[in-house]
Amino acid sequence: MEYTKQGKHTAEFIWIWTIIVLGFIYLPVVCDGISSLSKGRYFSFPIKRWALDWWVKTASSMEIGEIVRNSLLIAFAVTILSTVIGFCGALAFARFNWKGRKLFQKLILLPVFFPQPVLGLALLLLFNTFGITLSWHTAVFAHLIWITPVVTLVIAIQVYGFDPTLEVAAKDLGASRFRIFREITLPLLWPGIWSGMLFAFLLSWGNFSLSLYTTGVDNTVPKWLYTKMIAGYTPMVPTLGTMSTLVAAAVMILGGLCVWAVRRKQGRN
Amino acid sequence: MQSNLNGTLAVKKAGAFSLWLRDVLLTQGGRCAIPVYVLLILGFVAPLIMVLAFAFATPRTFTAFTSFTFENFIHIFDGSTSVLMSYVWALTFAALATAILTVICYPVAVGMVRIFGKRCSIIISILFVFPLFVSENVRLYGWILFFMKNGILDGTLKMLGGAGPDILYTPGMILFGICYTYLPYMLFPIVSGVALVPQDLITAARDLGASRFRTWREIELPLAMPGVLIGMLITFVLAAGAISESKILGGQSVVVITNDIDIALTYSQNWPQGSAMAVVLMIVIAALTMYAFKKIDLEKILGR
Amino acid sequence: MVSAKLHKAKDPQEESAAELAREIKPGETILDLVHVCRDFDKVRVIKDVSLQIRKNEFFTLVGPSGSGKTTILKMLAGMDQPTSGDIVLGGKSISTVPPDKRPTCMVFQFLALFPHMSVGENIEFPMKVKGIPGDKRCERAYELMQLVSLPESYYKKNVMKCSGGERQRVAIARALAYDPEILLFDEPLSAIDAKLRKTLQKELKELHARSGKTFIYITHSLEEAMYMSDRVGVLCNGVLKQVGTPSEIYNHPVSRFVASFIGDTNIFEVHMSSSGRWEASDFPGMDIKLEPRGDRLEGYLVVRPENLRVIDDGAVPADNVIDCKVRNAYSMGSRIQYQLISGKKEIMLELTPRHDHGIKPGDNVRLGWNAQDAIFVDE
Repeated sequence: MEYTKQGKHTAEFIWIWTIIVLGFIYLPVVCDGISSLSKGRYFSFPIKRWALDWWVKTASSMEIGEIVRNSLLIAFAVTILSTVIGFCGALAFARFNWKGRKLFQKLILLPVFFPQPVLGLALLLLFNTFGITLSWHTAVFAHLIWITPVVTLVIAIQVYGFDPTLEVAAKDLGASRFRIFREITLPLLWPGIWSGMLFAFLLSWGNFSLSLYTTGVDNTVPKWLYTKMIAGYTPMVPTLGTMSTLVAAAVMILGGLCVWAVRRKQGRN
Repeated sequence: MQSNLNGTLAVKKAGAFSLWLRDVLLTQGGRCAIPVYVLLILGFVAPLIMVLAFAFATPRTFTAFTSFTFENFIHIFDGSTSVLMSYVWALTFAALATAILTVICYPVAVGMVRIFGKRCSIIISILFVFPLFVSENVRLYGWILFFMKNGILDGTLKMLGGAGPDILYTPGMILFGICYTYLPYMLFPIVSGVALVPQDLITAARDLGASRFRTWREIELPLAMPGVLIGMLITFVLAAGAISESKILGGQSVVVITNDIDIALTYSQNWPQGSAMAVVLMIVIAALTMYAFKKIDLEKILGR
Repeated sequence: MVSAKLHKAKDPQEESAAELAREIKPGETILDLVHVCRDFDKVRVIKDVSLQIRKNEFFTLVGPSGSGKTTILKMLAGMDQPTSGDIVLGGKSISTVPPDKRPTCMVFQFLALFPHMSVGENIEFPMKVKGIPGDKRCERAYELMQLVSLPESYYKKNVMKCSGGERQRVAIARALAYDPEILLFDEPLSAIDAKLRKTLQKELKELHARSGKTFIYITHSLEEAMYMSDRVGVLCNGVLKQVGTPSEIYNHPVSRFVASFIGDTNIFEVHMSSSGRWEASDFPGMDIKLEPRGDRLEGYLVVRPENLRVIDDGAVPADNVIDCKVRNAYSMGSRIQYQLISGKKEIMLELTPRHDHGIKPGDNVRLGWNAQDAIFVDE
C-alpha cells in the first residue's frame, strides 16, 4: 500500500503496462477466434459474412475426431503417470531431508530448462536407433520427460507447506504408517496433487514441439494444425485452434475451481 | 604421472557415485526420487548419450558407437555451409528476446507482487499462465491472421485509408514471435524474485531518504536478482532452441539452428551431422546453465 | 471391516505397557529414568539424568532453551531413544517401544492439529485408529469436549477457525482421547499471549485434577512451572540440577543457576576469612552474618530482591547492612523494582508502591537483610 501512495504514477503506469501486455498475449487468440467465424473459404478482414459453418464442419470431421481422441488419450495417460511419479518426486524434493536432495532438486529441472524441439529430436533419434515404432505411446513417454518435473515442482510447493509434526502426532496417537499416509499426508497434499494433474493435462494437451517428432502416425491436435498451417490456409485451422483453446480454458477453470474448493474445505485460505 | 592423476580422479568419482547411489537407495527421500531418476535416465540422459554417440559417428551412417570421427564437427565450423550463421541467428534471437522480455516483464512482476492486491494478482497470473496451455503454433498462427495481407491489422488500416506493414516472414517477426511465446517463462521467475524483497526494506530505504530510483537500483533489484537471473536463463535457453517461430512466422527468411538439426535428422537423414549440431548447441546451453546454477539457490526461491 | 480391525492380534508389548501403567497406584513411581544419556553426533546433550515421576502428579521439567528438555520429552514419548541408560515403566523397560505403543501422548508445541479435520474429527482420530465404533467415538468426543470446556457446537467447527485457546483445548482433548496414562506437554503455551497464558495455565491445572492423569510438562519459564506443578525438575545443559516442589525450588535452591532462574536476584560471593568471619568479595572489610554453614569455607549468598529492606532512621536494624545509590526504578504495577549500585556491585531491590520510602533515582539509601533471609549455595 505504501508503495502505491509514494508512486501513484508508477502504479498507474504499471497497471496500464500490464493490461497492454495481457492484450498482446491474447490478441492472436482473439484473431483465431474471429477468423473461425468467417463463412468464406479464404480469410479477409473485415469479415463480410459471419457464420458458424466451419465450427460445424470441424466438429463433424471424422479425421479431427480421431486426432482429438489421440490428444485426449495422451493427455490422460500423461496426467496419471506424471502425477504418480511427480508425487514421489515432490516428497523427495521437499518433504524428506536427505543427502542427495540438493542434487536432485537441480537435476530434475534440467528437462524443464531444455529446449523442447531439441529434446524431441533427441528422443526421435533414440527411438529410431532402437527401432521403436513411433505412436501415441512414444508421445506419452516424450511428454512425461518434461511434464513430470513440472508436476513435481507444483506438488513440491504444497509439500513445503506441509507440517511434518502432523505425521509425528498421528503416529503418537497410535496410527499406522498406512493410515497416516491415507488420512493425514494425502488429504493435506490433495490441492497440490490436483494442481499438478491440471498442469499435466493442460501442458500435454497443448504440447507441440515434443509431439511433432514423437507421435509418428498418431496425429495430435497441435501437430495436425501445424501440417495444415504450412500447407496453406484452411479455416479449419483457426477453428480447431479456437476449439482446443476453449477446451483448455474449460478444463483449467473447472479444475481450478476443484482445487479452490478443496483448499476452502480445508480452511487454508 | 598424468595417468596416475587421472586414475585417482576416476577412483574419486566412482566413490562419489557409489555414495550418491547409497543415498538414493537407502534414504526415504532417495527412494521417493527413484521413479523420477529412472524416467530421466531413460528419457533424458539416454537420448542425450545417443546424440553424443552419433555426433562422433561417420556421416550418413545409422549406427553409433562403431566409428569415431570429428568430421561432423569440422563440417560445422569449416564454413562450407550456413550452419554457423544459424547458430548466430539462434543465439542473437535468444539474447535479444531475453533483454526485451526482462524489460517488459519487470514492471508487470512488480505490479503483481506489490500493486494489484492479492485477488487481482491471482487472476492476472492465471491469465498469464493460460497461454502455456495453448499450443504455441495456434497462438503464432493468430499473429499471421493479424499481420497478413487482408488480415485483421491490414483490413482495419485499409478501412481507415492506410495499409498494413508487410512484416510477415522477416527475421524481426521471428524475434517478435519468440518474445511472444516465452513471455510467461520470464515473468514468473521475476515475480518470485521480486516477492523475495520485503516491502519493509523498500519503505525503510525510502524513509531513509533514498530516491525511488535509488531504492530500486540498490535495494530491490539486487534482492530480486536470483529470480531475474533464473528468468533470463530459462528464456535464453528455450529461445535458443525454439523452432516454431521460425517455421510459422519466419517463412524461409532465416534458418535457426534447431531448423538445421531438424532437417538433418529428418529430411536429409544425416543423423551424425544433426547430432553434432545438437551437441554444439547443448554445450552452449549447458555452459550457461552450469554457470547460473552455481549462482542461484533454488530452495530460497521455491521454499520460503 | 471394523470388527476385523478390532480382532487384529495386538502386540503383547503394547498391551503390557498400557496395562502396567494402569495398575500402578497413584503416588507410586510410574516412569523411572535410570541414568539416561543421549548423544547427538558424539556430543552428549543429556548427561546422566535419573528421575522418578509419580503417577497422577503434575511434573514440570524446566530449563533454558538448549538445556535438553525437549530431548527428554521425546525419549519419554518414544520419538527418540537414549544412547545409554533406561526408561522404565512399572518395572519394564520401554526405551525402545515406539510412540504408538506407549501409554503416553504428546501435546505439541504448535499443537499439530489436523487442519483438514473438524474439532470432532480431530478428537475422534485416536479412537478411530483404535477401531472404536462411530457412535461410541462421538459420545466420548462430546464428553472430552465438556471436560476441556469446549461448547458442543464446536464439534463440527473447522479447527483452523478456532482461537488459540480453543485449539489448545482441542489438542488436549485429542490427547486424552488416546486414553494415555501420561500426557506430555511440549511448551504448548509458549506461543500464546501473556494474558491468555495465565488463564490456560489455571485451566490446565484444574484439568489435571479432573482427568486423573499424569502430566509431564516442559517449559523454559520457571514461573509457569511453579504455578502449575506438583514437582519441578530444573535442567541445565543436559544435567538435572534439582528436583523438588515449587517451594523447595524457590526457598532452597541448590545452586546459583537454580536461584537465578526464576528471575533477577542478588548473588554475593562469600568466603571465610582468616579471622573466621564471613566476608563478601564485593564488600571488602564488611562482616557478613549468616546462618551456620558447618565446615564450608566459601560459597554464594542468594538474597531475593523482596527480602532486602530499606533501613532508615528508626527502623528495626538488620543483620547485614550496605549503602547503595539508586540508579533506576522500574514499575511493575503491584511492585517496583529498583536497580541500585553499591561499590561496583549492582543490587536489585523490590518494594510495594505503598512502602517505597519515597526512593528516587539518585538517592543514597541503606539496605539490609537478616541472616535467615539469605540462602547459602555451594555453586
